[in-house]
Amino acid sequence: MSERIASTRPARGVSSPLLSRFRKWEASGILIALLLLVAALSIASPNFLSQYNLSVVARQASFVGLVALGQTLVLLIGGIDLSVGTAAGLSTIVGCLMLTKLGIHPYLVPLLTALFGFGLGLINGALIAGLRLNPFIVTLATGEVFAGLNLVITRGYPIRPLGEPFRVFGQGSVMGVPVPVMIFLGAGLILLWLLTRTRFGRNIYAIGGNRDAATLVGIRVWRVEFIVFGLAGMFAALAGILYASRMDSGQPSVGEGWLMGAITAAIIGGTSLRGGEGTIVGTLLGALLMAVLANGIVLMNVSGYWERVIVGLVVLIAILVDLARRR
Amino acid sequence: MLANVLETSGISKRFGVVQALSGVSVHVSAGRVHALVGENGAGKSTLMNIICGKLRPDEGELRIDGERVDFSSPLDAQRAGIAISPQEINLVPALSVAENVLLGAQAEGAFGVDWRETRARAAKSLAEIDDTIDPDRPARDLRKAQQQLVQIARATATSARILIFDEPTAALTDRESERLFSFIDRFKAAGGSILYISHRLDEILRLADEISVLRDGRLVASLDADATDKDEMVHLMAGRETASPTGRPPERAVADAVALKVTKLSRTGEFRDVSFELRRGEILGIAGLVGAGRTELGRCLFGVTKAESGAVEVFGEPVTIQHPADAIRHGLVYLPEERKHDGIFPLLSIKENMAIASLGRFQDLLTLRFSDMAREVADYVQRLRIKIGRVEDPITSLSGGNQQKVILARWLMRDACILILDEPTRGVDVNAKLEIQAVLQGLAARGLSILYISSELQEVLDVSDRVLVMHEGRVKGIVDAAGATQQSLLRLAMS
Repeated sequence: MSERIASTRPARGVSSPLLSRFRKWEASGILIALLLLVAALSIASPNFLSQYNLSVVARQASFVGLVALGQTLVLLIGGIDLSVGTAAGLSTIVGCLMLTKLGIHPYLVPLLTALFGFGLGLINGALIAGLRLNPFIVTLATGEVFAGLNLVITRGYPIRPLGEPFRVFGQGSVMGVPVPVMIFLGAGLILLWLLTRTRFGRNIYAIGGNRDAATLVGIRVWRVEFIVFGLAGMFAALAGILYASRMDSGQPSVGEGWLMGAITAAIIGGTSLRGGEGTIVGTLLGALLMAVLANGIVLMNVSGYWERVIVGLVVLIAILVDLARRR
Repeated sequence: MLANVLETSGISKRFGVVQALSGVSVHVSAGRVHALVGENGAGKSTLMNIICGKLRPDEGELRIDGERVDFSSPLDAQRAGIAISPQEINLVPALSVAENVLLGAQAEGAFGVDWRETRARAAKSLAEIDDTIDPDRPARDLRKAQQQLVQIARATATSARILIFDEPTAALTDRESERLFSFIDRFKAAGGSILYISHRLDEILRLADEISVLRDGRLVASLDADATDKDEMVHLMAGRETASPTGRPPERAVADAVALKVTKLSRTGEFRDVSFELRRGEILGIAGLVGAGRTELGRCLFGVTKAESGAVEVFGEPVTIQHPADAIRHGLVYLPEERKHDGIFPLLSIKENMAIASLGRFQDLLTLRFSDMAREVADYVQRLRIKIGRVEDPITSLSGGNQQKVILARWLMRDACILILDEPTRGVDVNAKLEIQAVLQGLAARGLSILYISSELQEVLDVSDRVLVMHEGRVKGIVDAAGATQQSLLRLAMS
């Protein structure tokens, strides 16, 4: 309430409206948390700020982060996509086969893989937007199908080697910045623009905030939903193929754990499971926070078994902080 | 002097900077109906919530039979014999009507819930209010009015001595309201006490023994119902001179050009063979009882549902409307009946709520021009005299009347030329209602054509040039508003 009074009064200093805007910004809490964590780790462990370690952390954040970007779009329209992890896995395998069996040029493979993932997402979209089925159930089912097809194709064996030219996407770097990180940040920027500056993006928020009203203002809701699920599949596939390039191997297990990671990153970044609320910056920071946390656990020699306990607690804290901010 | 069954004395309540109630004292005696009137935001709901235990007052006390009580939850209030029929419908959609009536109070036998007994008890309470609703149907299958009645039955099924009704008749037909009123009369005769809130002043005069008028959180008058009239109540509620509904609007020239021509439009179970012409600059009222098919007709014309047969022409051109987007492209738009559910985007700002249908106009190749959008929004805020803080504030910070104006502006911004308005003044206070009606008159004078759907016959007569009367899905006639009365419209509907 005191914020509201502050905002309607004419500002006396320059800093107070900025401060009040910062406090109202959905991602302010997570930014502070991230900065505190970085500060603490850089004091506790001299290795943390080394260029090598930072690039490891950033790259780590990129894979789950890309999946989280797509998931954020789905959450914004009030849906959920449980198939992103296995869609990433299946797309990766198909992408690797394009490379090794079909001999497609390595530079085209990420693009084609992303397109394949887009197609997998559109299957979800057709079932959910076209037939108006529940996204939870549809993606639970299609996710199983994708996982199964992955094993049918690979029989559990990795596809390798993928060859030298292809490794640039996962292992290369430009001016010290790893390629996956650049792709992650680039995708983030594009989505930031899409959500805040285009009609398509504003329609996403409208649909998530009030689906019935969205139809009644002339938004073709099913079309937006259809595309959003396609995009979720696309970002998952992109993450998967970059990861394969990084490992120089198409592992059937690519994507395991990404579903929860992606939802977690989006939620601690301030995205609401009820739709209509959330930001790309929040998700970017959420993915970074998760990666820094995992890295910190390693650097501090904490047993890896504790990682999930700590991540779970961080999510709970994020929810409580968000609750406090709203009151 | 009768003994007071329920008494509030000097109740005050503050929410942050807003003083919702200050020193309000009202009392209800046995066998009496006490009505509360006031504009939206006058503090009626806050007072109700305090009486039924949802809120605790900052100051003042509540007395029942002269004894001070301190409710810490709605359950305490229920135990003290208070039951409320709230304005918002909160039934459990998947459960049967019977279970909804006795929710939380199902009859219990030796082995858990005794369904036969529960059903019998619920059916008995329901029959007091309405005997057409099947207690075994799931609540989600009911019409809105029926859901309202079930909600009322839930309150009356408790053995409460004090019943609170908050806008019980908002969705009801006249006949359903009459049944409720006769229940109230019986309850009163049996010594029960009633606190009654309504925007409908005729109804208040018909039912109430005493009337309390609230304004800006204060009790401004306690009236004897026999010694007051509508004008006095409106005057006290508004606290300033209101433009009194003068009956006929100033004469407007209605052009001969036909804006919307509907021919034999039908949709099974909703309406049949509906034909009419709406001319340029004309306001055509659509009157009828609940269930007449008016909302269904509006939604169908807008493309929310598809007509099974019939034709629609917009300015002489036959159109096929499959989706609201098609209707909007032809300049035909619809303001939904349920503003909260179908109209506003609660998470978005006032600005975006207004511009959401016109984003295409502000879209450059790559980006939305937000500054142009803000300028145009500010322009409409001024033209429709919408009371807001800043255009970036959330839409939910506005009162119902101002929200409705934002939605109206949404369509004016989109260059709509045919407006279908479904209950545009529902849940809007007296002054805002008159303002909205004045805005609509002005729009019609500028050449917009308006279909005005309303359950309040007098309102339809006040606003419209002609009135189309529907009953059970059929058009019973179209009459000039000038010569018509509420009685003549009703007679036409029932003929």
